[in-house]
Amino acid sequence: MSVQGNLGSGLEPHIERRVLWLFVAVVAAFSLFALRLFHLQVIQGEALRLRSESNRIRIVRLEAPRGKILDREGREIATTRAAFSVQAIPAEVRRPETTWPVLARLMDGDARELRDRVGAPTGRSRFQPVDLSSDLSRDALARVEAHRYGLPGITTDVRPRRLYVDGGLASHLLGTLGEIREEQLATREFADYRAGDVVGLTGVEALFESHLRGRAGGRNVVVDVAGREVEVLEEVEPRPGGGLALTLDWDLQRVAYEGFAREDPARPAAGAVVALDPRNGDVLVLVSSPAYDPNAFVGGIDVGLWRSLSEDQRRPLHDRALSGQYPPGSTYKPFVAAAALEEGLIGPGQRVFCPGHWRLGRRTYRCWKRPGHGSVDLARALIESCDVFFYEAGRKLGIDRIAYFARGFGLGRRTGIGLPQEKEGLVPTTAWKLAKRGEPWVEGETISAAIGQGFNLVTPLQLVVATAALANGGVQVQPRIVLHTTDRDGRVLEATTPEVRGKVPVSAAHLERVRDILIGVVEDPRGTGRAARVQGLEVAGKTGTAQVVGLAHTEDLDEGEVRETHRDHAWFIAFAPARAPEIAVVVLVEHGGHGSSAAAPIAGRVLRLWWDKRQGIAPAPDAGLVTATGGGAPAPQEGEAALAED
Amino acid sequence: MLRIDRRSAQNFDWLLLGLTILLVGLGLGNLFSATYASASDGMAPEMRRQLTALGLGAVALVVAVTIDYRHLERLAVPLYAGTLLLLVSTLVLAPVIRGSQGWLVFGPLRLQPSELARIGVVVVLARWFARNPPGQIRLLRELWVPAVLVALPVGLIVLQRDMGVALLTLLVASSFLVFVRIPVRAWAVVAALGVAVLAGLWRFGLKDYQRSRILDFLDPGRDPLASGYQVIQSTIAVGSGGLFGKGWLEGTQTQLRFLPTQHTDFVFSVLAEEWGLLGSLLVLGLFVALLLWGLVIARNSKDNFGALLAVGCVALLFWPACINVAMVIGLAPVIGVPLPLFSYGGSGLLASLATIGLLLNVSMRRYMF
Repeated sequence: MSVQGNLGSGLEPHIERRVLWLFVAVVAAFSLFALRLFHLQVIQGEALRLRSESNRIRIVRLEAPRGKILDREGREIATTRAAFSVQAIPAEVRRPETTWPVLARLMDGDARELRDRVGAPTGRSRFQPVDLSSDLSRDALARVEAHRYGLPGITTDVRPRRLYVDGGLASHLLGTLGEIREEQLATREFADYRAGDVVGLTGVEALFESHLRGRAGGRNVVVDVAGREVEVLEEVEPRPGGGLALTLDWDLQRVAYEGFAREDPARPAAGAVVALDPRNGDVLVLVSSPAYDPNAFVGGIDVGLWRSLSEDQRRPLHDRALSGQYPPGSTYKPFVAAAALEEGLIGPGQRVFCPGHWRLGRRTYRCWKRPGHGSVDLARALIESCDVFFYEAGRKLGIDRIAYFARGFGLGRRTGIGLPQEKEGLVPTTAWKLAKRGEPWVEGETISAAIGQGFNLVTPLQLVVATAALANGGVQVQPRIVLHTTDRDGRVLEATTPEVRGKVPVSAAHLERVRDILIGVVEDPRGTGRAARVQGLEVAGKTGTAQVVGLAHTEDLDEGEVRETHRDHAWFIAFAPARAPEIAVVVLVEHGGHGSSAAAPIAGRVLRLWWDKRQGIAPAPDAGLVTATGGGAPAPQEGEAALAED
Repeated sequence: MLRIDRRSAQNFDWLLLGLTILLVGLGLGNLFSATYASASDGMAPEMRRQLTALGLGAVALVVAVTIDYRHLERLAVPLYAGTLLLLVSTLVLAPVIRGSQGWLVFGPLRLQPSELARIGVVVVLARWFARNPPGQIRLLRELWVPAVLVALPVGLIVLQRDMGVALLTLLVASSFLVFVRIPVRAWAVVAALGVAVLAGLWRFGLKDYQRSRILDFLDPGRDPLASGYQVIQSTIAVGSGGLFGKGWLEGTQTQLRFLPTQHTDFVFSVLAEEWGLLGSLLVLGLFVALLLWGLVIARNSKDNFGALLAVGCVALLFWPACINVAMVIGLAPVIGVPLPLFSYGGSGLLASLATIGLLLNVSMRRYMF
């Protein structure tokens, strides 16, 4: 078959020549490429090789589990659990229109919320993981894991997380954890912290932050572009934090805490219980009620929950044991009595006649018992809490001598427990009033001060230190909350030593006299503290009722008609065994009314359990305690603060 | 007609075939590495499909060799018409995949007609310039016929939103202009027109990501983690290969999949990372040898059509190789043009092998007169 070219055969020379141009073009183009390759691969080769290394190697931080916090018997109060988190790498999320709804269903979340949380980051942050949930349930985690391959850009992770075993049982003492604040990051103390780190913000968690924290580890991993770990090059294990053994007895703590919830478990009464060992200052119980669940703070507290906690009128965040300041009421009388004895103002057998009122100048001061106590000596005056006896003693002492002895017992200043929330309280003096109020002291104010009213303010913790000093023969111990620190395996590192803050300026004999009388408050058939009796244990105690508002408005009303916030605070202080004390307890019930009925039963429960444990009897179920302490004869009521002026 | 006579067989261009086989072999080895990271059991599905396409491509090559190219001149117009028909049917029938509408699906086979359309354009232009000797063309307006011949398929490809291929087709077609004798000032007019067209395209024809790709080329630091990411990762991959490379299947950029579209547009980065400067220069050298040999075939051709067809075939291979390599090493914007014989893509491999078949065809029939 022959084919005839339409325009004659032969190649035009012109075309042949121009093909040469194309030779030049091809050679030129590829020479340029060769030069560029030489530049990239030889001249810049080393630099680009380093960049390819850093491209694929990521440093993954491994958080250290925080040290455990134990009670004095080695029970875990705060420990660590595994928390499952889910993150999204925004740049890797394909098909967001299906990813978010599917993930939301797997996580029991809300698709819109997930999408909003990731947002639309630009630049480098598109490759930074965004936490979608830092604490996913095990079931939800399993569901997400099962669908991960259909959800590119979604990764999961396990991190250690603080767990407070019994929630709010000791929330104010343990404190809270939270994300480190920016102003903290700027300080030297937190030099090795990074934004987003968890740090102790309050309480023991803050106090022992450096010991509990441990050291984060890290892992050098090779990742692919999706951030998936392909190979681990190097791993530095995180070092868990060291532990702490507190002086608390968790059984006693629990029974004290639950004491506030007996009437209405959903709405526990407000108040505080502090118990310590008068021999060494070991804090056995430190309860503030109502409490909050510190677990809610660990991963950053929810805004709504924070608002409801901080705006709650019952102030659950407020540590009543350390920062609550209240007039001590009649619990002040034993200390005034000790002062009067030491100053020789009350001779043996000296009696005062109580007609139910007492006159100073033109004013009349009432005893809480309108008909009067008749002729009372010191013992009867304390057991029946006669106000008139102490009006008399107080007037003789004068405010500055009362203040001297009150401070000698440790009132009106910080106890040295070491927690920043502790308040000072107030022991008034003439000098104080002149300086603060610019007015001279009025003698009538001494009369109120002598029965623990007026300007007097104490914290429950101060009062328990003073009670312990009364019990132990005049030694002012420093409350101790940590027994010892441990290393991460629980071996004891360093035991704390009991500290003594000072000596009460009252002779042992006089203290013993007061102590013996206080046994009668609990054991005497007419004693106001009978609700704190414990079978087989000699308990000494004193009730108190702190006035909230002047009774002028309320004295004609029945108790039930007085608004709760105007009701008096109920106090009870106690120690046992009375003649060789090993535990001192202070109970405060805000607006609880009478110390005998509101506060003493809680102290009784704590003492009863303490006594059972000391005798080797296993902690009885709570129900048993009700009959043990609540089944006794009704205690006579008191209302010492019936203080009226003409 | 469909046979090779003894004389042609004696003149068979073994050098060209050898170069082709070398390049195809290197390309497959490199593609294996590029797809290895996503393979679950040794060989990625892309690799299997590419091998199937290689079989079909071999058939296409044989067919392209067998039909005497002078018969092809007569078949040029029907071939061109068929090309247009294929492009139109793509526009009507094909689904939109990743913003482009370029694939015709026949059961398990997916054909990308725009890859094949270029060959139709080259054949029809070779025929037109063979009949209208370019040495005598001195006025722009004399080019209106080839202009229309090019504009039709390019327009259809633009409608498919495949800008890379549209540009490529234009460049391939414009290669023929090297033969005309139009004065420089006329080209100034063309340039002005071109700028106007480009501005129009920029404003109306491009999608946001395409615009940003071009901006990234002009300033790669603009947003290193967004679309400039591709350029930067590719540059890192190429540069980190150094002189000798990291070794086959050992490229960290590749195997950890930092490289974008590493088995298609950025397949050359894989080669450069794993085989270094030496491997890259070897492959580029083979390409240069193939292209220059194609030009030798054009010069040795005994008629205008053969020469022009050979030049067209060289242009069909040169332009995508040139743009792709320039893009991968950061000399051109990322416009999504695959590297012939190396990038994954069945239609592309088929088209490249058919093109080389045409070159072989012209080469072996150089003594036919």
